[in-house]
Amino acid sequence: MKELNELVFGKGLRYSNDHEWVSESGSTRKVGVSDYAQDQMGDIVYVELPEVGATFEKGEEFGTLESVKAVSELYMPIGGEVVAVNEDLGDSPELINQDPYNNWIIEIKPANLSELDDLLASDAYRELLKG
Amino acid sequence: MGDNMDKVKKTVLHGWHGANGANMALFGNYDMPLWYRTGAKAEHLAVIQGAGIFDTSHMAAVSVKGRDARALLQECLSKDLDSCLGKNKTPLVDGRCVYGVFLNSDGTVIDDAIVYQLQPELFMVVVNAGMGGQIAAHLVKNAGARAVIVRDLTDLVGKMDIQGPDSGRVLQKIVKDPAAVFDRLVYFSFKGGFDDLNTAAPVQLLDGTPVLISRTGYTGEFGFELFMAIDSLATVWSMVLKAGEDRGVIACGLAARDSLRAGAMLPLSHQDIGAWPFLNNPWPFALPWQEDNATFTKDFIGGAALLRGGWDKYTLAFAGFDPRKIAAGDGSFVTLSTGEKTGTILTCTTDMAIGREEGQIVSVAGRKGFEAKGLCCGFVLVDKNCQPGEEVILTDGKRKIRVEIRADVRPNRTARAAMATMLT
Repeated sequence: MKELNELVFGKGLRYSNDHEWVSESGSTRKVGVSDYAQDQMGDIVYVELPEVGATFEKGEEFGTLESVKAVSELYMPIGGEVVAVNEDLGDSPELINQDPYNNWIIEIKPANLSELDDLLASDAYRELLKG
Repeated sequence: MGDNMDKVKKTVLHGWHGANGANMALFGNYDMPLWYRTGAKAEHLAVIQGAGIFDTSHMAAVSVKGRDARALLQECLSKDLDSCLGKNKTPLVDGRCVYGVFLNSDGTVIDDAIVYQLQPELFMVVVNAGMGGQIAAHLVKNAGARAVIVRDLTDLVGKMDIQGPDSGRVLQKIVKDPAAVFDRLVYFSFKGGFDDLNTAAPVQLLDGTPVLISRTGYTGEFGFELFMAIDSLATVWSMVLKAGEDRGVIACGLAARDSLRAGAMLPLSHQDIGAWPFLNNPWPFALPWQEDNATFTKDFIGGAALLRGGWDKYTLAFAGFDPRKIAAGDGSFVTLSTGEKTGTILTCTTDMAIGREEGQIVSVAGRKGFEAKGLCCGFVLVDKNCQPGEEVILTDGKRKIRVEIRADVRPNRTARAAMATMLT
């Protein structure tokens, strides 16, 4: 298990309390899970992705990550329409463990940009993990 | 809060686990490694393809000694010690061990165990973590006036497992007189001893450390359980790892232990067996059935209740079609293909060494170069006696996954491999 000072925090991201990240800029945003999340989950062996075109509200479940022992639900950090899913994760779910920031899970068109304000900046997320 | 923290126990290897990046979790009362930096998948595959080691010193042992020791165990254990070895069901002798369950008089399970006969009047009973006190008390209560001494050895016995096809090759390097040690060390036999638990011939590691080496394990693969004085464990752990370095032997945590045993269709006490009668399950070999399958070869506590019958549920093994799982627990249940609710999930994990090809289950052990994606597997407790091949649905109310009832899960298991093929 990684110590706090071993955890990686991506650049230009905001984080949810569920340990997901959203990229900070662009008309569409990528969504993934944090290094803390993948370290806690262990080896990811299957990813359940939503259909492209599906819309979800903030907080709604959009997919799952399966580890050897458990299933972790993925919740929308902000609401929006799914415009792309990371097809590489079908064959290689372990990519999320290897690099949770470059291996995004879904790409969304945000419904309401102000929802981003509720997410945590890097420092605040780090504080959350200390607690 | 202070009380709870006092109750969490640590094995002597706790520091090693932390120093090696283990992700820890509570199992019973013990803070144990779930996996190390290697990860649960690599650890599972290491046991299938090479060897892995497990800190199992959280398990409990009870010694039973005296003129009436065997008779006491015969009364309390489901296995008939007079009729249990091999095809011909010969009596238990020194150097052999058997798997059985300790039942309540209503046929429900207290715990499962492996019972070792070290000498005609000396037995070691190995049970699950935290159960030493309860099993010792159960034996004492039933001993009555009999000539027997029962000792709970919880936290006094060092234990580690090495499991996987390379296990023998690794241990050969660190035992004195390996040819003698491995000669005729058949499945469910053992040699050596330590402290007061001794057989006729000692087994020592190269540095003189006495050990009891048993050809048993909880993975379904070829391997051994090593028992020793608690003070020897840390040294032996390092010794085995070093000896296995050139074969890529790694430490494996409880996640891999659970996925390996599930693929091998072995039960987890208090999860797959427990507060219901020990009947209608994949482990009838733990009971002393006569050939007519209608009566037992001996009386034992719980036996009469089992024969009275009336238990109308079935514990069945299943395997899915991909790694997706539904966690056992409140809110999850099993339905028939029709959607009719039929039972509950006992165990659901992923065996990462297997996959499906044209519907058949294939293991990396059976086909070189096979890339296993993993399959969920485990046990369900249902009210219909579904046959192998029949499908049921596991669900949490939202997600649904179809799984197949199985007579066996992971193929090409090596637990019973002929010793001669496993040492060179």
